Amino acid sequence: MIFRKLKELMRKELLILLRDRQTIPLLFIMPLALIFFLSLALQGVYADKVTEQQIALVLESAERTPKSLQLEKKIAGNKLVRRISRPPGYDNDRLFEYGGAQAVVFIPEGFAGGTRPVEIRFDPVLDAGYKVALRSLIIGLAAEVVLGVDDIETTMANFVVERTTKNRNFPSPLQQSVPGWSIFAMFFIAIPMSIAFLREKNDGTLPRLFTYPVSPNLVALGKVIPYYLINLLQIGLMLICGIYLMPQITGLSFNLGEHPIHLVPVTIVVAAASTGFGVLSAALARTPEQSSTLAATGAVLMGVFGGIMVPHVVMPLIMKKLAMISPMYWAHQAYLDIFLREASFGSILPKLIILTIFAFFCFYIAGRRIKWM
Amino acid sequence: MKALEISGITFSYDHPASEEKADLRECALKEFTLSVASGRISALLGPNGAGKTTLMRIITGQLRGYTGKVTIFGRKNMDRETLQLIGYAPQPISLFASLTAMENLRFFGTMADLPDKQLGVRSREMLETMGLADYAEKRVSSYSGGMLRRLNLAVALLHAPGLLLLDEPTAGVDPQSRHHIYETLKKLNAEGMTILLSTHIMEEAQRLCSQLTLLDKGSVVFAGDMADIDDLEKFFLEKTGHGLRDE
Repeated sequence: MIFRKLKELMRKELLILLRDRQTIPLLFIMPLALIFFLSLALQGVYADKVTEQQIALVLESAERTPKSLQLEKKIAGNKLVRRISRPPGYDNDRLFEYGGAQAVVFIPEGFAGGTRPVEIRFDPVLDAGYKVALRSLIIGLAAEVVLGVDDIETTMANFVVERTTKNRNFPSPLQQSVPGWSIFAMFFIAIPMSIAFLREKNDGTLPRLFTYPVSPNLVALGKVIPYYLINLLQIGLMLICGIYLMPQITGLSFNLGEHPIHLVPVTIVVAAASTGFGVLSAALARTPEQSSTLAATGAVLMGVFGGIMVPHVVMPLIMKKLAMISPMYWAHQAYLDIFLREASFGSILPKLIILTIFAFFCFYIAGRRIKWM
Repeated sequence: MKALEISGITFSYDHPASEEKADLRECALKEFTLSVASGRISALLGPNGAGKTTLMRIITGQLRGYTGKVTIFGRKNMDRETLQLIGYAPQPISLFASLTAMENLRFFGTMADLPDKQLGVRSREMLETMGLADYAEKRVSSYSGGMLRRLNLAVALLHAPGLLLLDEPTAGVDPQSRHHIYETLKKLNAEGMTILLSTHIMEEAQRLCSQLTLLDKGSVVFAGDMADIDDLEKFFLEKTGHGLRDE
């Protein structure tokens, strides 16, 4: 009998939720759009800038000597650059602004004779990392041509060895955005959740429900479980989009790391934290308007502090410390542990404990404050 | 047998923490007593704020923390069986607007422990009775005021309660819907259902009810047979005064 009632309570909640025209865009379309646009926007800002992108380059030569032709061939064939042509009538300024070029390399007359150097002009807004990379490349290739060395990089490799450890801090744009905006949307469930609760309380349907033989605990479960399931569905769909759809559209890569099984406990706990936040918003507000303001403001602030809107890795130290007050930070870091750091369950566990405490805190306060009628 | 017996109910909405200032508390109900015989329609009248809705909420188990006793068909505890004996149509339209009439009935019927088989049959019967059969699959948000009132009543009747509590069941409806509701209530009463009707419409009370309880400021100011009263509105104003009640 109890399960029949619970099933009906959940069915009712899901029907109302799915028939609300504002809910589906808020919970599913919003994070998808944010993942798509902000992954593109973040591309190259904090990711591995030089190796993941090619510099659009206009390569021009004023002489046709073997050396200048050899240099031109070496530059054009390098994987760091993508050679483009200068549209007719475009000066350098116009070329950078409208022509899609990021740099212009000019081999002047006299290069082969050693009287004039190769000239490089950069788009003034080009990132400094790209400038340094291209400058080093041109110097190296010019040296190869002038000195008659075939592959200067291989020759120099015996003198310099790179010992950089594997990147475990800088997420790729999709690694940042997919879990980040999914978590954000999961916490946004507090809005429809608290509004629905307060609307039912104010329009009399909830008090009417208690004229039937049904306990408040069962009603609470019937309200929380559907939103919890929606949370699981949200993260599942966002991950599927992140793995299969987004790389096709954006050309960015996304992988789940070496232990994707850890997604299960992390998602279970994050969904508990986000529904807990929803229950707390419902308990603290008196009207649906109050609850939506409270839930939306809370979620946005948690997102700002938690490294969702601005990646935690690029935050100044003080903000990095402040981020720890946001449950979204712990949730996001738990996902990044899986995707980026290939962390063991033991290293994710402390984050899950913090999120579980947050969920318990929310449910406890809500349980004490909530007025059913 | 008495369908409903209320004796010495006192209730205040003030916080229990102010117990030491009990004399300063304003009581919504003070030593309230009421008795409704089985199979009758009894009117509960009173000005705004008299305590009618509070009383309904106490009878339906929504409010606790009162002193006194409520007995429904001889049952003192507000347990599952007792709650199943009560059907309550609250004054606000308490339905899920984005669900259809059928979905609303299915929901409340399940909460009332109606078995699945019976639920479908009773739902269709109730929609037929209330003239809503053609709108069973329409969302409640598209209903008119009269249709909403009738569905609100259908939900209360779904599990065939012995005692029906109605809080202003015809507020804001057109004469056609009102007439339909009156006829339905008369029919249900003729079949043996006990009804407690809270209303502001004097004509409604006089037309339907055989008993009257007049309530003001949380206390009973009159209880007796409706047949003894000629002009109910005049009687009401004599007993409760002409002053406005805007609280």
